[in-house]
Amino acid sequence: MKFNLFRAPENDAGQKDPLDTPMMGGAVLPAAASGTRDESRPTPTDGQPASTPAMAAPRATHHGGGPVGPTKIAARDVSVFYNGKQALYDVSLDIPDKTVTALIGPSGCGKSTFLRTMNRMNDTIPGAKVTGRIEMDGEDINAKSVDPVLLRARVGMVFQKPNPFPKTIYENVAYGPRIHGLAASKAELDSVVEASLKRAGLWEEVADRLHSPGTGLSGGQQQRLVIARAIAVEPEVILMDEPCSALDPIATAKIEELIDELRERYCIVIVTHSMAQAARVSQRTAFFHLGRLIETGDTEDIFTNPRERRTLDYITGRFG
Amino acid sequence: MTDATVTPEMRADRLRAGLKRRYAREGRFRLYGLLAIGVAVGFLLLLLGRIIEQGHTAFYTHTITVPVYMDPARVDRAYPQGTNFELLVAEQQLARFGVADDAQGTKATAMRSLFSSELKFAAAARIQSNPNLIGQTVPIAAPVSDDADLFFKHAISRDTPADQRRLTDEQIGWLDRMKDSGAVAAHFNSGLFTKGDSTEPELAGVLGAVVGSALMLLVTAFIAIPLGVGAALYLEEFAPRGRITDLIEVNINNLAAVPSIIYGLLGLALFINWMHLPRASPLVGGLVLALMALPTIIIATRSSLKAVPPSIREAALAMGASKTQTVFHHTLPLAMPGVMTGAIISMAHALGETAPLLLIGMVSFIPGIPHSIGEPTGALPSLVYIWENASERAFHERTAAAILVLLAFMIVMNAAAIFLRRRFERRW
Repeated sequence: MKFNLFRAPENDAGQKDPLDTPMMGGAVLPAAASGTRDESRPTPTDGQPASTPAMAAPRATHHGGGPVGPTKIAARDVSVFYNGKQALYDVSLDIPDKTVTALIGPSGCGKSTFLRTMNRMNDTIPGAKVTGRIEMDGEDINAKSVDPVLLRARVGMVFQKPNPFPKTIYENVAYGPRIHGLAASKAELDSVVEASLKRAGLWEEVADRLHSPGTGLSGGQQQRLVIARAIAVEPEVILMDEPCSALDPIATAKIEELIDELRERYCIVIVTHSMAQAARVSQRTAFFHLGRLIETGDTEDIFTNPRERRTLDYITGRFG
Repeated sequence: MTDATVTPEMRADRLRAGLKRRYAREGRFRLYGLLAIGVAVGFLLLLLGRIIEQGHTAFYTHTITVPVYMDPARVDRAYPQGTNFELLVAEQQLARFGVADDAQGTKATAMRSLFSSELKFAAAARIQSNPNLIGQTVPIAAPVSDDADLFFKHAISRDTPADQRRLTDEQIGWLDRMKDSGAVAAHFNSGLFTKGDSTEPELAGVLGAVVGSALMLLVTAFIAIPLGVGAALYLEEFAPRGRITDLIEVNINNLAAVPSIIYGLLGLALFINWMHLPRASPLVGGLVLALMALPTIIIATRSSLKAVPPSIREAALAMGASKTQTVFHHTLPLAMPGVMTGAIISMAHALGETAPLLLIGMVSFIPGIPHSIGEPTGALPSLVYIWENASERAFHERTAAAILVLLAFMIVMNAAAIFLRRRFERRW
């Protein structure tokens, strides 16, 4: 469809292994390094390689400027209330397709809340109210005519804690195609499962035990299983809510690598606490603070040359 | 300030002293725990021991085999069941022992009372199946009467003064002679499990009550489990949170605490007087017990639904599963062990419930074995109640036996609960 709008191939060339070259965007901001270290403290399993913050080799990946894809999701004046208490204030944000957009900010800043408006998961919380307009491909997703169930088939989600169903690996991946009636035959379903697991980089590890429980996998494998489950229904957007915060550094590296590969096909929005991770995996970054969107832009710009004082303070570790 | 003068040595001493106290407290607490368990187990063993001690003798009984001369003058070929076989046997037995009867037939009556009425049915059945036996001497086996049985089980002792026991010295003498001749045999009391209730203890069995209880529980399970699980699912997963939901929740919790006899009254008014369902039937019993089990099942189901991690629900919803799919594909299967446990425990509770059954007529004497849920029947707990109140002494050991059967029934149900829980258990 919109594959011609891929980003330049050079991107992929540089991102084969997120571990081998630290991708901290802001070479000119040594202070950002300390910020990263502080940031990693509340979530020790976050697992940035120790060397990452210190090395500030800029990468060609996050060249600044230029649209990275057509706008997939356009949010306009989105506010969210939980039982009358406002959690998100008038957020307007364009999220481009075939791009990783990182939402960063301190705890309770509304980034997860905003993420959950995009697949209407807030609908499932009693007392939650969303105002404003969110368009996906020009269509208002909160319109009466849009079924949240169908919307969620188009917008997949990966959660902070790996949450595979307590079923077999195969059943986990096959669940989405099955409930949406996407596979006509067993053979078709088998191939969907295999393709999804391959794309999630898990096939090699689980091919011989597809029918053992998904909960028996390691944390990182579970998270990749959950990603495979999400992409099995061929969504257009994948929302990730701190997908690596419960994982060790090696598993985190694998997930980041995977995110980078998935970017070719999907619009990815990732909430992360780790600024190093945001710098490594995203092309666009939006900084949230106290329920407001403070600043958004190309990741490199945000990390090297933030316009807002608060952004600078956050990424340099003065708060958060 | 005292704080200022605390030396490291003093601190260490205080710590050590405190540590000692802490360990002592922990030791005491453990002791209390052990004591509590000990007392509980002790009472349980006492209860079980007492019941087994009382009831074990009911599991065997004595049969007597007597040669019966089918006197053509007294046995009617066309209507053998009309013959007074008991008197016939008693007189022949007296003659065999060389005892002369008086004009009133007192001795024959005394002899007769040593055999159960089963004797005449057995003899009549033999003649009916083969009328050519008339004129011959046929050995007929039948249970001994309850008093004779108690004597053989040493529950009636010959040391008791004659005017205080139910058997005379003469009857005891006859029983001894019969036993010495090898006519009396002890064996497993299969009748206890294959017969319905009877006014004669030696012929009474628990089968009618077991079948009645089982039918009743089936009705209860079929009504209470789907209804209770459905109600819990709706309340927990679908119902909007609000005043009405809260009100319903409070009321369900209150219903669980309503005394069971109230449910009996409700059943009597609703199912028997208003709906005219058959009195004392497993249908009515099951309906009443279902009403009673419902709140427990709802509460157990709701709490096990609550225990399902929200991440599973989120995962399913985020996959685009509808609310119903989420519930039936994920939440309910994960809650199943808890649901099963709750359901079966409330069933076991219903099985032992007596008070409501008294009100819907299940304390009546019903000798038959029910074949459908519309027939009058007894139930195990009401049978225990009836037998305990019976005047015949032999019913007392059978009461204990019925309690053991009831307990066995419950153990089977609880074992099923554990099996099902294991079967459905999944980890997440």
